Amino acid sequence: MSSRNRLALVTGSGRGIGRAIALKLASKGVDIVVDFFRRRAAAEETARDIEALGVKAHVIRANMADAAKIDEMFDEIASKFGYLDILINNAASGVGRPVMDIDIKAWNWTMDINARAALLCSQRAARLMEEQGGKIVNISSLGSTFVWPTYAVVGISKATLEALTRYLAIELGPRGICVNAVSASAVDTEALRFYIAEGLITDTRQATPAGRMVTPEDVANVVAFLCSEEASMIRGQTLIVDGGTSVAPFPKMEGKEQ
Amino acid sequence: MSIEEEVKEIVSGIVHVDKNLMARESTFKDLKADSLDIVQALVAIEDKYDIEIPDEEAQKFQNFGDFISFVEKKVQEGKS
Repeated sequence: MSSRNRLALVTGSGRGIGRAIALKLASKGVDIVVDFFRRRAAAEETARDIEALGVKAHVIRANMADAAKIDEMFDEIASKFGYLDILINNAASGVGRPVMDIDIKAWNWTMDINARAALLCSQRAARLMEEQGGKIVNISSLGSTFVWPTYAVVGISKATLEALTRYLAIELGPRGICVNAVSASAVDTEALRFYIAEGLITDTRQATPAGRMVTPEDVANVVAFLCSEEASMIRGQTLIVDGGTSVAPFPKMEGKEQ
Repeated sequence: MSIEEEVKEIVSGIVHVDKNLMARESTFKDLKADSLDIVQALVAIEDKYDIEIPDEEAQKFQNFGDFISFVEKKVQEGKS
């Protein structure tokens, strides 16, 4: 491989977890394509912070619900760079409703952005990784496995994403492409604070065995590990970053010593 | 077609409401638009005019007229 920097596309990297992943990879010398959907100013700020780390940043707007826009984004990456080494499928959206209130529109919107876009991005990315191999990391959430109030369609889309991770890992493995997922519990981001009450944030913090909430940087650290050669024999896995929440469902329960 | 007409056309396609029933005084609630309809309408308008409608601004819209006025203002700013 030439001495060029590796190049990563991080979908939804203007804010939150995507921004933290973009900055972490940039700190490792990776050039970044910053994809955003609705907040250009935030994406441009992320790009400036990436460039301050001494690597290149390129900002692209794309609606992940629109297959044609995803194609346009990859056409731009192909013509500007001609290669891609890392794809982080991070962009997500969703409609918070109980199962019985999910209509076709809410289902399609959520599934299109959280699952279908990851498929389409991975298909296009794999072609740009053909010569040199690459890494794909999908960002999931514990709602894929556990039931959270009004999270149904998002949780289902994340379960789909994790299954997609396994199939991609096996089919792309022979091409030198490692595919994995990272699943986080509630991560302390602007988006979380927009959707849930402060009380729930306190409850989550208290219920986390590690004693604090998961931060975007915690997720970014694990993503960066999966993008390293040290992780090259991890394939098709979903690594959980939750401070121990999922293995201690009853944190306040006291046992009786015999 | 005026911006108002174009916005009505786009929103009526998303919310499935007859555009002739859409008045500037109509609220999204009157139009029976749910939160996803509103997001999709904002996105469609942003794409159409290459403008940005921050969520914080969108939350201030009292009715459809506020929405149209905001879009008209943004489009004008983009031209100047």
